[in-house]
Amino acid sequence: MAKWRVMTVDDSAAILTIIAAYLEDSEFELVAAERDGVMAVERFAQERPDIVLLDLIMPGQSGVETLSRILAIDPDAFVVIVSSLGTEDAVHECLTSGARSFLQKPFTRDDFIDFMRDLTQVA
Amino acid sequence: MGSMFFGQYLLSKGAITREALIDAIERQRRTNLSLVEVAVQDGCLDPECAAGILTRYRTTDAGLEELCLEYGKISQEKLDELRRIQRSDWVRIGAALVASGHLTREQVEGHLAAFHGVQHEANQRLQADFRACNDPDTVKTIVELAVFHLKRFTNGPVKLQSLSKDEGGLSEGRRRYAQKLVGDREIFCALDLPSPVATVVAQGFIGIPVEDDSEVAIDAVCECVNIIGGHACTRLEANGFRLRPEPPFFTEGDEPAGESRSAVCAHVLAGDLEVDVRVFV
Repeated sequence: MAKWRVMTVDDSAAILTIIAAYLEDSEFELVAAERDGVMAVERFAQERPDIVLLDLIMPGQSGVETLSRILAIDPDAFVVIVSSLGTEDAVHECLTSGARSFLQKPFTRDDFIDFMRDLTQVA
Repeated sequence: MGSMFFGQYLLSKGAITREALIDAIERQRRTNLSLVEVAVQDGCLDPECAAGILTRYRTTDAGLEELCLEYGKISQEKLDELRRIQRSDWVRIGAALVASGHLTREQVEGHLAAFHGVQHEANQRLQADFRACNDPDTVKTIVELAVFHLKRFTNGPVKLQSLSKDEGGLSEGRRRYAQKLVGDREIFCALDLPSPVATVVAQGFIGIPVEDDSEVAIDAVCECVNIIGGHACTRLEANGFRLRPEPPFFTEGDEPAGESRSAVCAHVLAGDLEVDVRVFV
C-alpha cells in the first residue's frame, strides 16, 4: 500500500526534525520540509503532497497566507495547521480559511501518529 | 532571601560546605528513583516503554502516574505498590547529610524549622510581588507556564525563587530567547539563559544531543519560548484578551529593554541551573 505523502512547513528546524523523526517507520512519507511560506507554496506545486502540516506563526508569509496560496493552486489541498497557539480565534480563522484540522504543539510521537491516522480517515 | 531548595539554604547559611552538598546530592541520586525507574527495577515496565513515558511526560501536560496507568498498562494497585517502594527508599537531602556525617539529626531539624519559616515568608513575598506587578495576571500566567514547561524540558525540579522589577537588560553571560505577543496589547516573554542551560533545555525538548550554541539548540529553545507564548495567549483568552504570538527570536542584545516597558524578572532555579524568565508589559 502506498504511503501517505506529507509535507511539513515550519520556521523551526527543531520542529521539522521532531516531525521527521516521528514519521520514520510509519505509513507516512515525508516528501518535503520547508522553513518558509513562499518556498512552501512552490514546493507544494511541485510535490502535490497528500497532507500539508503548516505552522501558523512564521516570519514573512504567515501560515494563513501560505494556506490561501496553496488552496489557490489546489482547492482540495489537505492542509493542517500546527501551532503552539490554541485560541478559539486562531482555530476559527484557520478552519474558515480552509484548513482541514488543527494540532497544538507540543505533542508526542504517539499523539502525533494517532492524529495523522485519524486524518487519513477523512483525507 | 527568595524561595529555594533546602540544600541551597544550608549552603547559603554556611551550615554545610559545597562539597558536603554535592556528596549528599550524589547519595540521593543513587537511592532516589523516579516512579518509572522503580517500575523498571520491579520488572513491570520495560526500558523502552519507560523511555516513551518519560518523553511523553516531558512533552505533554499529563502526570507521570497517569502515563504509567495508560501507556505502561500498570494497574492502579501495582502503581500504589510502586509508590510505597519509592517512598520507602526515598532519602531527603537532610537525611543524606546526616547519613554522610555532615550534620547531626538535631542540626537538620533545627535548620529545617528555620527553613520552613523562611520559605513561608518567601512564598508570601512572591504572591505580594506578583500582585504589585503591572498586569499581575499576565505576568503570573507567563511565569507559571515557563516554570511548568522548564520542568518538563529539563526533567528535574524547578522552583520560582523571586521576582524583581528592573530595566529588562540582559545579565552577563546570558542570551535571550524571546517572543512578542500582540493583539489587544503588546507583551514580550523571554527566557534569559547561559549557553549550558540552553543546551539542557534544547536537548530535553528535541530528545537528542545538541551542541552548545548550535543553530539547532538556539532554534529548539526559541520553539520552547514559542510554546510558552502560544499557551499564554490561549490561557489569557479566558481573561478576555485576544493575543497572538509573533515568531520567537534569539538575541544577544537587550531587546525589548529600553522601550519604556515595565519589566519583571522571575528568577527560577532548575536543579542547580539558574534561569531568568522575563515579562515585558
